[in-house]
Amino acid sequence: MSTPLPEILDSTLQNIPNLTFTVQDRHRLRIELHRDRLPALLELLKGRAGYLHLSAISCVDWPDTDEFELVYHLWSYEVKTLISAHIHIPKNPGRYISVYDIYTPAAFFERDIHEMFGVYFEGALDMEPFILTEWYGPPPMLKSFSSVDYVKETFKWQEYSPDWLKDIEEKGGQVVE
Amino acid sequence: MKSEICRTPDKEERSLLRQVLDKIANHCRARSLFILHYCTGCGAIELPPVITSRFDSERLGIQPMVTPRQADILLITGYLSIKTLKRVILTYEQMAAPKYVIGMGSCTINGGMYWQSYATIKRLLEYIPVDMYMAGCMPRPEAMQQGFLQLMDNIDNGNANCWKDYYYNYDEYLGHQQALFGPDWHTPTDVIAEARHYQLFGEKTIGDHTALLAKFASKYVTKTIPNHIVGVN
Ligand code: SF4
Repeated sequence: MSTPLPEILDSTLQNIPNLTFTVQDRHRLRIELHRDRLPALLELLKGRAGYLHLSAISCVDWPDTDEFELVYHLWSYEVKTLISAHIHIPKNPGRYISVYDIYTPAAFFERDIHEMFGVYFEGALDMEPFILTEWYGPPPMLKSFSSVDYVKETFKWQEYSPDWLKDIEEKGGQVVE
Repeated sequence: MKSEICRTPDKEERSLLRQVLDKIANHCRARSLFILHYCTGCGAIELPPVITSRFDSERLGIQPMVTPRQADILLITGYLSIKTLKRVILTYEQMAAPKYVIGMGSCTINGGMYWQSYATIKRLLEYIPVDMYMAGCMPRPEAMQQGFLQLMDNIDNGNANCWKDYYYNYDEYLGHQQALFGPDWHTPTDVIAEARHYQLFGEKTIGDHTALLAKFASKYVTKTIPNHIVGVN
């Protein structure tokens, strides 16, 4: 907290109302803001403060509040700080706007989040399946999806046959625990 | 005149001759094996020492090969995601018979430590016939070497015939594949025609699942081998 913000950042952040930020350390800054203001923040950070690199967008599923938390990670090569901008969006309908027009790498992250959490990004480049092209179930990263139950229903367990162990022991081998 | 000189051997005799030839072929085959290594799993890391100077499997007559058409063994070195399984099946079907599959590591037996994952398959033998498992997570190079020797033995004795099972029971294998990939799944290889070609067409080669093949197949993808070549009417 004691570390002062770089001047350029300070003046930039003052343009966005109702924004809280925490300086976590010399290279990390956490910002929380309302979802409607995120595009404006990104525009300013990119255009005025030199945060050219959107390194990731991550998503958290909060089952208690029925919300998704989206975190936009931005890196500046000049100031050498990472900003994580946190917003919350309601799970229903689970839609948000794409920031592809501001940061092109967002295309991949948004497509990925759409596939894993089911969040739809309006104006995104592509919302087609990305990695899970052979997947027909619900978005698997949702807390409500139980991977174990899915596996139990879909696949059969195969016991290790003790016969092969006998075979191996006959030949002088063994299983080492 | 000619037909008198070239006597047609009777059926029994011919099969005896064939058996001898098979024995010789198997014996030779077991000593010259090419592995196509499908290294998506972590166990693949044990393969380099096996095939290079340290354990040197080449002295047993086993070498790595880079294309499916020129390989005898398909070595699956660990977990397979549903997506990679698709590629494995395509690869397997392109290999020329006789072909052998080795499932390496517990991941190919029942999912191993990825049992709880929605993205990986659990039992490789449901989708393609497996000749041999190398148990362990991961099996050490010695175990792999031992496995290779055992497989060579099996081939030499004519006991490594799992590839035939793919033809005999194609419907069942295809059913398991369809359960994961959807009913419209099909490969460019016409397995049924191949089964006829190898004379391995059995009762269970076709069934409910293969019926779906015909339903969804594009005429560009599965071009059946003409009947006069396959030898059926
Ligand atoms: S069996 Fe073990 S070493 Fe092999 S792929 Fe699975 S987790 Fe990795």
